[in-house]
Amino acid sequence: MIEKTGVPTPQDLWKVFPPKERLEKGPVAIIECFQRIPCDPCYTACKKEAIQEFEDINDLPQIDFEICNGCGLCISRCPGLCIFIVDQTYSETGVLIKLPFEFLPLPEKGEEVDALNRKGEVVGKTKVVKVQNGRYEDKTPVISILVPKELSMEVRNIRLRKNND
Amino acid sequence: MISNKDHENTIVCRCEDITLKEIRDLIKEGFKTVDEIKRISRCGMGPCQGRTCRQIVMGEIARTTGKDVSELRLSTFRAPTKNIKIGILAEAAEG
Amino acid sequence: MHIKEHPILAFKRGRRVEFFFDGKKMWGYEGEPIAAALHANGVRVLRRSIKLNRPRGFYCAIGNCSSCLMKVNGEPNVRVCVERLEEGMVVGTQMAKGDLSRAKANPISSSGGGSGIRKTDIAVIGGGPAGLSAAISANQMGAKVTLLDRNSRIGGQLIKQTHMFFGSEKQYAFIRGIDIADILADKLDKEMTDVMLNATVLGYYREDGVLGVEENNRFTKIKPERIIVATGASEKVLAFPNNDLPGIYGAGAAQTLMNEHGVVPGNNVLMVGAGNIGLIVSYQLMQAGINVKAIIEAASKIGGYWVHASKVRRLGVPIYTSYTVKKADGRESLERVTIWQLDKNWQPLKGTEIDLNVDVMCIAVGLSPLAELLWQAGCQMKYIPELGGHTPLRGEDMQTTVKGIYVAGDVAGVEEASSAMVEGSLAGLCAAKSLGYDNGRFKELREEAINELMNLRSGPVSEGMRKGLEQLI
Repeated sequence: MIEKTGVPTPQDLWKVFPPKERLEKGPVAIIECFQRIPCDPCYTACKKEAIQEFEDINDLPQIDFEICNGCGLCISRCPGLCIFIVDQTYSETGVLIKLPFEFLPLPEKGEEVDALNRKGEVVGKTKVVKVQNGRYEDKTPVISILVPKELSMEVRNIRLRKNND
Repeated sequence: MISNKDHENTIVCRCEDITLKEIRDLIKEGFKTVDEIKRISRCGMGPCQGRTCRQIVMGEIARTTGKDVSELRLSTFRAPTKNIKIGILAEAAEG
Repeated sequence: MHIKEHPILAFKRGRRVEFFFDGKKMWGYEGEPIAAALHANGVRVLRRSIKLNRPRGFYCAIGNCSSCLMKVNGEPNVRVCVERLEEGMVVGTQMAKGDLSRAKANPISSSGGGSGIRKTDIAVIGGGPAGLSAAISANQMGAKVTLLDRNSRIGGQLIKQTHMFFGSEKQYAFIRGIDIADILADKLDKEMTDVMLNATVLGYYREDGVLGVEENNRFTKIKPERIIVATGASEKVLAFPNNDLPGIYGAGAAQTLMNEHGVVPGNNVLMVGAGNIGLIVSYQLMQAGINVKAIIEAASKIGGYWVHASKVRRLGVPIYTSYTVKKADGRESLERVTIWQLDKNWQPLKGTEIDLNVDVMCIAVGLSPLAELLWQAGCQMKYIPELGGHTPLRGEDMQTTVKGIYVAGDVAGVEEASSAMVEGSLAGLCAAKSLGYDNGRFKELREEAINELMNLRSGPVSEGMRKGLEQLI
């Protein structure tokens, strides 16, 4: 289906999601890459060697969830912008998601923004916890947002609300 | 399908203003190579030298004749590849 | 409208200058293409076509299609997509074929053109990713290069690629195309490569192996020992009623306008084609603050990388597969597009029409190799749809069937920029070696390049390409 819609199916996603027990342990990277294409920067970006070396550059990325500590260095290195960090242990009330966001204006820390799913539909609102936009991110800023647990595997984008002024 | 009449507004060759209807009519009349169509209509003889229209003309000929595009003969490619002022050539000749 | 803020780009602009369009005073930035300045002022109709008097704008924006001819300072037939704006310029809508009677005659200067023939080891035609890589490698081996590019800067189409590249580190993966252009330009050995800008190769003359070149409005001749043709490709067009309305642009043209010149192509866009170009340009349009209403694709599947598709879907842009354009409408420029669905046999289905109110339609239905010079040289060509059309036969060393003429990049079969760079390196190495140049590492570097190409092309997304290439090599 993704080849027709551009949206991964639940079946696609199950293949790349970490097991429930791992998610409950803390931050972890989820690589939503489903197609064999010639690309391997996620491997070189990973300092923990959690993302395995590619035997063939067309391979799908293989990640060892036990080694991955969810540092997020891979997010802004993925040309497909398909890597997200999910931390279900972040707080009692919400799950932390880190996602790439290459648009202006950037949200500010504490700003309330719309939470979007993989189809770009608004599924709720969320609060921006952090904006990383340094030399390392190199114009692919990484935004950390807080969402309710039930949306943590659904929200993958944000949209700023129109200013009233 | 879109009628041939509607293709009076479908432009194949922008430079020489030739429509898809005209190309189809020419093929119907028996002009069945890129070169024949070029010579009778000037399609591909404008400033872009056929970069825009060639593939559409080839597709039309292939479709009507039942041939594969790879079997079609193209017309000759000649210099210059773009429009150039006569003065520039004249200057080079004088110099 | 000029783009003020951009998440990736900082536009370097000239000073604000006044110019005149059909008697009306306007302003633009000095040095930007006239077409970009006009577009920023809301002018999309540049001329009237020669017989049918139809309104026309540009289509390719990079000097290929000649759809943008205008009258500039009295002189007709000026390609305003590449001609640069100067203070006080008088620009006019060109009617039909134009009128020379008001043009100022330029006296032939006594200094003359280049009557002598410049000699060089290797002429590289085209300064994009393939050509730059070719020049760098040839220099490395010890060969002198003359690098010709028709633009006023090198980099080819890299300079509008704001996205990160795929591939591996060797092909600059995760670096943006715009930055790769700078990296390659830095790598160029300035002592060993003579860069000729604003230089278009007009013809190759088989009799004596001479290239006729127009450089900055002068005609010169170059006689190289070897030629590497890296001229790239041009955007294909689609045939549907009113396909020539201003506002209907090649996707690459819209990209040039917004990413190179910092001008928004319009407000609401329909993208035609869900290959990598269609998907990437859609994303970049959104980055420039432009609304992409939909992406349509005639095939039943998305042709580009799924990650690119997912990126635009997350932004809320729908992708309709098995849809094509029925017709475009608009008085002077595009106002509305009607799309309809295709059945399994690619036949349109009546009753499935959808009208979309858009002022821009981008056509991203593929590229075809810009191979005129290869045809002129008598290189054997083969029609390979998977590679964009007629493509030159060549050996593993990138040499065509005409001895001494090499190819690299899209002109050798439309592919990705990553493989274009490797092909360029390979062609540069082999052309230099054939002249006796070798820094001692030829064998190793050649093998490395061949392996890199094999790796890049080994995946399922390159299947068509592989099949096509098998018929060429």
